Amino acid sequence: MKKTHVVSLTAFILVSLLLSLVPALAQDNAVTLDFYYPTAVDGPASQVIQGYADQFHQLYPNITVNPVYTGSYTQTRDTVQTEVNAGDVVVDVAVMLATDLFSFVEEESVVPVQTFIDEMDDAEAYVSDFFPAFMENGVDENGVIWSIPFQRSIPVMYYNADLLEAEGIAVPTNNEELLAAAQALTTAERWGLEVPVAGGFPIWLYQSFATAYGQPVSEADPTEVYFNTPESLAGLEFLTKLGTEYAVGPVGGSAWGDTPTDFTSGHAAMIYHTIGSLTSILQNADFTVGVSALPSGPAGTGVNDSGYGAPTGGGNLYIFASSTPEEQAAAWLWVQFLSSPEIQSDWGANFGYIAARQSAWELDPLKSLAAEHPQYLQSVDALQYATREFAAYRAIDIQNIINVALSSVISGSVPLEEAASVLATAQDQIDSLLADYK
Amino acid sequence: MSKRTFGSRLADAATVSLAFFWLIPLIFSLLMSFRPQAEPITIGNIFVGSRITFENYAAALQVAPWAWHYITSILFVFGVLAVQIVTVTMAGYAFARLRFRGRNLLLFVILLQLMIPSGVLLVQNFATIRALDLFDTRWALMLPYWGSAFGVLLMRQTFRGIPYELEEAARIDGASWLQIMRHVYVPLSIPAYVAFGLVSISSHWNEFLWPFIVTRTEEVRPLTVGLNKLYGTTEVGALYGQLMAGTLLVIAPLVILFILFQRRFIESFATSGIK
Repeated sequence: MKKTHVVSLTAFILVSLLLSLVPALAQDNAVTLDFYYPTAVDGPASQVIQGYADQFHQLYPNITVNPVYTGSYTQTRDTVQTEVNAGDVVVDVAVMLATDLFSFVEEESVVPVQTFIDEMDDAEAYVSDFFPAFMENGVDENGVIWSIPFQRSIPVMYYNADLLEAEGIAVPTNNEELLAAAQALTTAERWGLEVPVAGGFPIWLYQSFATAYGQPVSEADPTEVYFNTPESLAGLEFLTKLGTEYAVGPVGGSAWGDTPTDFTSGHAAMIYHTIGSLTSILQNADFTVGVSALPSGPAGTGVNDSGYGAPTGGGNLYIFASSTPEEQAAAWLWVQFLSSPEIQSDWGANFGYIAARQSAWELDPLKSLAAEHPQYLQSVDALQYATREFAAYRAIDIQNIINVALSSVISGSVPLEEAASVLATAQDQIDSLLADYK
Repeated sequence: MSKRTFGSRLADAATVSLAFFWLIPLIFSLLMSFRPQAEPITIGNIFVGSRITFENYAAALQVAPWAWHYITSILFVFGVLAVQIVTVTMAGYAFARLRFRGRNLLLFVILLQLMIPSGVLLVQNFATIRALDLFDTRWALMLPYWGSAFGVLLMRQTFRGIPYELEEAARIDGASWLQIMRHVYVPLSIPAYVAFGLVSISSHWNEFLWPFIVTRTEEVRPLTVGLNKLYGTTEVGALYGQLMAGTLLVIAPLVILFILFQRRFIESFATSGIK
């Protein structure tokens, strides 16, 4: 008798304890995620992101996403860096440059999403649906995936199709044709080709030349940078001569911000620019706009020896190590949601980023937009010739060294004959920065 | 009837041309803000392009909750100034008139603060605000600025310039310390307060980094952080029209304030010796 009493009493206490825990558990389940995002495009991004957060909250009522606009990519990184340095990290998920990966790996502030992917039932299908070029910068040298593509872009060549047709010029596919076309299209009022490498940040577009000539600035190994190679020099020479020798564009390149308006107003016949500008270029141009992959370098070089090469660009989604396991699990759901074909289709159509998922292109609104403006599909074609963007340890410092070296040559302030020694000096500086990481 | 000399005419001409150079950025912003977005400066009429448009303003207004930003900016600058006036008055008096051990050393330490760029303290201040649980509030914006080394120095110099006999006379008449401050020191230092107020308001109105780092909610972010959204379109090219429209919206209150109280400000700067 006594024994059963004890048992039933214990059972009663246990059950009531458990019952009292239920509401507490339900409370604890509520997770709030601080989501930092930068934008680099025109438009009401805040409203759209808030809309996604609301949709997500309906799907997962216990998770609330608190989106915070954090300015430019640099300002976003500074904000996150302040929190990390103060040892009091607020952010749970952030969109940051895909190329910043190794600085976060080094300070251990983010977690690899690989752990979450490994637990997925359809991991293979999820990963392989992303365009391979966009995945490359999210992966470290051991093949571990750290971040997921969100707002990505590539540089493409825009051309005034009406003008080319009127002049009987075929769309150039390699650098020789490009130069010939640019020379034919240059008049006193108009540049044949504007490559926006002026203004202190030439590295992005320079990479397309370096890769097309056979040597990307960096490959899978984040401790190796290739800046002083015959291929780098050949790419840099071609880029510089466009202004200094052939005079088909301004010496030193054009300014990034002015290039699209030069193009739409007829002051440039062909331009290199990000695909992110397509929407506004289509809006402002009163002629047929053509889009193609950046012309190729010599045969047998570049991406898959195609002679082509364009770097990717833009931001990936990162999950922070300082968040609790519950927050990280919720963060992974949010990352999956933002990288879903539906959101990628909507985000791409709204803001001109290339939807990173292949299946997103079969969904509206992107599908109908691409049907209306085939230029969007041409950007997808160009993607097969794209590759990783420069990334390495100490990427910010190295980028500065490269930008200074490139600018001095492209602007003509250092003559081309001395370019080789400029590259060599820069390479020495870079190697001494990376020495500790090898 | 004095004839104007050649020299004074030359001085006038120099002033006018200086004023013109100072006005160029303002005129440029104004013109760009009314120019259609798609037109570079080389198209159409050099001043306004092919037509005058308000599209840039409409687009800029859409980008951020400006009403909240205005409220925050106003609360921020006046919240800072109100407390600063109390703290710099007290500290200024203490350093001007009271004798205590370590006075010069303390003043030196306060002046050292003038040489430390605020960016250096960013991480520490951020940690402090988090610890005080004031993160993402308007208090967080104001807190680091409640003391002002510049203000302390300015009030100390001003108070020292006031004859001590006035304080003694008031004391003989039985005035308390507060009454002495109210009836002697403060009224005689109004120009210094006006000058200090202007410097304080304009510097905090333009403050960006600290509010940006320490707030996350749109409603408690000041105008500069809202304006930053218009600078964010780096990838697709500069939207000068919107940028200038937004800039003019942000600086308008300060410019109007200055024009209204112009004479007062200039007198204050002249008397208080701030340049």
